[in-house]
Amino acid sequence: MASGWARGPARLTGRAGIRLILAIETSCDETAAAVVDGPEVRSSVVASQARLHTPYGGVVPEVAARQHLGTVNAVVDEALDAAGLALDAVDAVAVTQRPGLIGALLVGVATAKALAYGAGKPLVMVDHLHGHICASWLEPLALDPPFVSLIASGGHTRLDLVDDYAEPRLLGSTLDDAAGEAIDKGARTLGLGYPGGPALERLAADGDRKAFEFPVGLAGRTDADFSFAGVKTALLYAVRDLGEQEVGRRRADLAASYQEAVVRPLAQRLVGAAVDAGVPAVALGGGVAANGRLRALTAEFAEPAGVAVAAPDRALCTDNAAMIGAAAQFTPPLSWPRYAGADAMATSPPGGIAA
Amino acid sequence: MLEAVHGLLASVGVGRDELERIVVGVGPGGFTGLRIGIATALGLGQALRVPVRGASSLEALALGLAEVAPPGATLAPALDARRGELFVAAYRARGAGVLQELLGPRALAPEAAADALAALGSPDAPVVIGGDGVAVAGPALDAPHLVLLPAGAAAGRVRAADLVRRVEAGGERPAVPVYARLPDAEVNRRRALAAGGG
Ligand SMILES: [Zn+2]
Repeated sequence: MASGWARGPARLTGRAGIRLILAIETSCDETAAAVVDGPEVRSSVVASQARLHTPYGGVVPEVAARQHLGTVNAVVDEALDAAGLALDAVDAVAVTQRPGLIGALLVGVATAKALAYGAGKPLVMVDHLHGHICASWLEPLALDPPFVSLIASGGHTRLDLVDDYAEPRLLGSTLDDAAGEAIDKGARTLGLGYPGGPALERLAADGDRKAFEFPVGLAGRTDADFSFAGVKTALLYAVRDLGEQEVGRRRADLAASYQEAVVRPLAQRLVGAAVDAGVPAVALGGGVAANGRLRALTAEFAEPAGVAVAAPDRALCTDNAAMIGAAAQFTPPLSWPRYAGADAMATSPPGGIAA
Repeated sequence: MLEAVHGLLASVGVGRDELERIVVGVGPGGFTGLRIGIATALGLGQALRVPVRGASSLEALALGLAEVAPPGATLAPALDARRGELFVAAYRARGAGVLQELLGPRALAPEAAADALAALGSPDAPVVIGGDGVAVAGPALDAPHLVLLPAGAAAGRVRAADLVRRVEAGGERPAVPVYARLPDAEVNRRRALAAGGG
């Protein structure tokens, strides 16, 4: 452990004298940089590659890595400019180390290491999922623990108990597809483009969510895990059995029923986990947290249970670098030459997401 | 990567903030290695506020070959392009880091590389081939007028000093990777479009 580092109450800032941070995130298809000062977001810049990947129907790792390299320096400049700071002024550089597309992560990590080395700053290697959780710590939400966090995105679906932002504890995760992946695949089955989340939600708004009964993964189990492979397959069969004409007529109903089958277990298990753990609040994060039906359902379950529902702004739920800067303040910083050998990793270690 | 930079600066007693510019090899080469090298150079340049210049790795290798090749020889750097292919090019040395390009950089199968290079050689002006692509090509490069540098020869490695010499001789490139290949997904997409009449 780095000297001067100590765990403490979550709202404590300026750990080891580090609170003004330049953060970089390149784990998937957003090139992002941000400057955070404690829980305050001074700037947050996200250059999305989503349109670049649309022709392929999903994120192509090699295309993503190429684009990150062409973009990351300009995005860093923009974040520093918007914060009115020079690199010399920050306390540390932080970067997403894992999990994600390895070629994409490597670009961010190599860039961050060189920036830290050139400027003589410590480097903080952050777990992307720890970042999503710590997005709730940022102002104006500034959520105090304890709470249960749901992170649901195209790559991840997990529940954590957060007593301390420095040490989230995994309660459960998806056993197969991520929730966002299930939504994208469902959208594709219904002939919507990639990325499919917003399009599916718009279509679902005009549909009857009880029109079709899709199986809910792991129904009846009381643990905190998820499964979305079954519902995805059920939609495929439903579309095949209905035939083209009937599918065309009932697309909104299919979308609404499918969306319900994906987001209902998320809301249910999230609130259930908070009740089980005896904590007063839940927090939503990840791209799927932008889904209106998920938010409504979570509120619906939470209210009678006396549980408060929190969610950062949409821009802090989807991938961004401000959340990486937040998690960096709960992660031991590395000084030169200790960060020289710290590498990007495609997956998080089984031990947990906090370093 | 940074450890190598750090060690080098320490060995010559130069502080990182004394650097005036940075030169980086832009390939062609392995995609991941290229990206790490270029991202490191660009990040350092950004932090130190100094310009970052690119230089062709094949051209730098050609300068190394010129030191061991007979006068008038054609210089053919060959780098491992994976998938059994080589990145090759051919040059004639014109002195002090200057090169005349005879065959532009491309990824070729060993047999095609042998044909393309053999066509540039003659009994009095052989083609000297060196680089880690020689080992990839195997016996395919066993053709008239082709002289192979043994694997592991010092002149068969891209030297950073030769990258700098290329830039100083006017061979500067943008500091962006020369991939010399499209991403597989793009190759497949174009193939599908062509087949589907789209
Ligand atoms: Zn994410």
